[in-house]
Amino acid sequence: MRYLIIGASSGLGRELANKFAKENNNLVLISRDERDLNAIKSDLEIKYNVNVNILSLDFSSLEEVNKKLLSQNNIIENLDGIIFPVGMMFSEDNLNLDTDRMNKLVNANFISIVHTIQKVKKFLLKKNNACIIGFGSVSGYLGRGINTTYAGAKRALESYFESLAFDRELRNINIQFYTLGYLETNLSFGKDLKLPKASVRKLSERVYNNKNLKFEKKYYPSFWQLIYLIIKIIPFSILRKFNSE
Amino acid sequence: MSIHFTEERQLISFDKSFSANIRISEPDKYKILEEISKRSEKIINVGSNLSYSPLGFSKDSLSVKLRKFNRILEFNEKSKEITIEAGITLIEFLNFSLKYNLWIPQLPGYPTITIGGAVAANSHGKSCAIHGTIRKSIKKILLFHKDYGWINLSEQENKELFDLTIGGLGLTGTIVSVTLKLTSLENSEFVTRKKIVKSIEESKRTILKDNKKHSFIYTWNRADSLKSFGEGIVFQNEVQSNSNIFKEFKESKNHFYPSFIPLWNKYSIKIVNSIFLAINKFSKNEKKEDFLSVIFPFYGKERYFNFFGKKGFVESQLLIHESKLDMFIDEFKRLFKNYEPTITLFSLKNMSGEQKYLRFEDNKICITFDYVYNKKNLNFMSMVDKLYEKYDILPSIIKDSRISKEIFRNSYNKELSRFIEEIYKFDKKRIYQSEISSRLGI
Repeated sequence: MRYLIIGASSGLGRELANKFAKENNNLVLISRDERDLNAIKSDLEIKYNVNVNILSLDFSSLEEVNKKLLSQNNIIENLDGIIFPVGMMFSEDNLNLDTDRMNKLVNANFISIVHTIQKVKKFLLKKNNACIIGFGSVSGYLGRGINTTYAGAKRALESYFESLAFDRELRNINIQFYTLGYLETNLSFGKDLKLPKASVRKLSERVYNNKNLKFEKKYYPSFWQLIYLIIKIIPFSILRKFNSE
Repeated sequence: MSIHFTEERQLISFDKSFSANIRISEPDKYKILEEISKRSEKIINVGSNLSYSPLGFSKDSLSVKLRKFNRILEFNEKSKEITIEAGITLIEFLNFSLKYNLWIPQLPGYPTITIGGAVAANSHGKSCAIHGTIRKSIKKILLFHKDYGWINLSEQENKELFDLTIGGLGLTGTIVSVTLKLTSLENSEFVTRKKIVKSIEESKRTILKDNKKHSFIYTWNRADSLKSFGEGIVFQNEVQSNSNIFKEFKESKNHFYPSFIPLWNKYSIKIVNSIFLAINKFSKNEKKEDFLSVIFPFYGKERYFNFFGKKGFVESQLLIHESKLDMFIDEFKRLFKNYEPTITLFSLKNMSGEQKYLRFEDNKICITFDYVYNKKNLNFMSMVDKLYEKYDILPSIIKDSRISKEIFRNSYNKELSRFIEEIYKFDKKRIYQSEISSRLGI
């Protein structure tokens, strides 16, 4: 089996690459920094004796996605699954973010993912048990003052994955979507978070074990589902009042 | 890069002598390592923070923890060479290398220590009489320096800096990866033989006589009273001759949680030592032992350290020439009679190598004492410190965080001056600084 992992050089992506390789799967790994990719490739090939291809590209640029990934038929025609543990954030992401960086955020967190799925799904349909796995964020629950564009893109992504699940044509593909809370990664390092950070290793195991299930929408850690339900029940006017105070 | 990747944390040295609120970063990408280094004026590297002395942090430096740089970059089974990132722990490294019956014998005593830490400390194992220190297994180092960027170090490339970095306590820059020459190990099981000894003199004779015959030879001696001082056991570990199939070691979390009140005192030590010696006197002279219990004797026995309580302990590790050992021990015993220190561990082993720069390495005998941390013991130790010059003793600053600048300067003497001269030549700003390096004026 051969899986494409986008955003594989750190955090969840790196753990997923490790887990899938450990289970004897070949991989295509995508990230921006070639040095990190080379290190991961060597490590996984030496430890697990699998084949790892790497592509260094900026996922926020559709041009690079087309040129470096989607033009490579030998790669995209032979995949058994695509996994998107990709996430781009800017600390300046608020209601005043400039359009250039807004475009980058929307591309990396939404459009490039959708674009890749649209180009690759016809090949995945030919496979047995192919999978598409996406990752949202609890920041997409509600509008916010920081990570504004990021949160919007993640909410859009969740909606897109629901649409994928509704599509009759794609019934043979296993689609999963995980809404993620705080994880033990460098994105949360040094941040004063009120709720605990969850292990990316455990999450990668869960993702691997669930990869052959039909549409699954999960929350990780699971207590975020309860928070989500509470936010949905409370009228928006109250949430707004609470938030503005 | 717009995200800072650092946080404030309290770190405590393993011997509990020093704690500080520091800034720490755990990069997982090359770019983040470069970025955080550029942003910091003073930096120091931390592995698993298991050094007895505060070598991996300082309140004025950013501690760079490379735990996520734990990948295998190259491996050649035929030429027995491996390149690994500095954050890989010994147990992760061995779980890979022992599948091919390969390892390095110069392993420090706890499996979650990182390779980068072992290189920076020029670690030695139990077989240091034959195998020397880890320096002998290092072929290349990739170093990152805030001002000079990426530097390849080996005997052929940047030799001076290569030499300064091994055992250089992380003061030359961040060790990012290391190429090691591996050694064959036919079996990951050992046979342990023991000999009961009555004195330090007999212990010394036995370890010197069997030095070349047994690669792993060391003693355990009593120092809980003047009467029983020196009684003990000489242990000899030998690799089993038949080949076995290596089973991966399970990694467990560190279990270092100091007890609420210190449990080591004169009485408890005497009781435990008497029982330990009696069991060994009456049990079989030969037994099979697995790899972990021979190479990492405190793994699973962390209670030994926890029993020191929150005040911790002091370990003194000294290198002394065999010809001076008896005289030193006589004077040590005289002081012992006056001060009655509380010593939990006393051990001897042989060491080989060349003392250079800050390295704790020489063709001498290595003595280890663990003391309960209290005023009486500190007074006793400061009296023992005064014997270093007389007996040409080299103390380990990696183990003993208490050593004064004066004692350190007198003991390391010319080699310290050479180290300081060379490191200032390389890095005038002296960017990489730990609590110990500041304290000792390195």
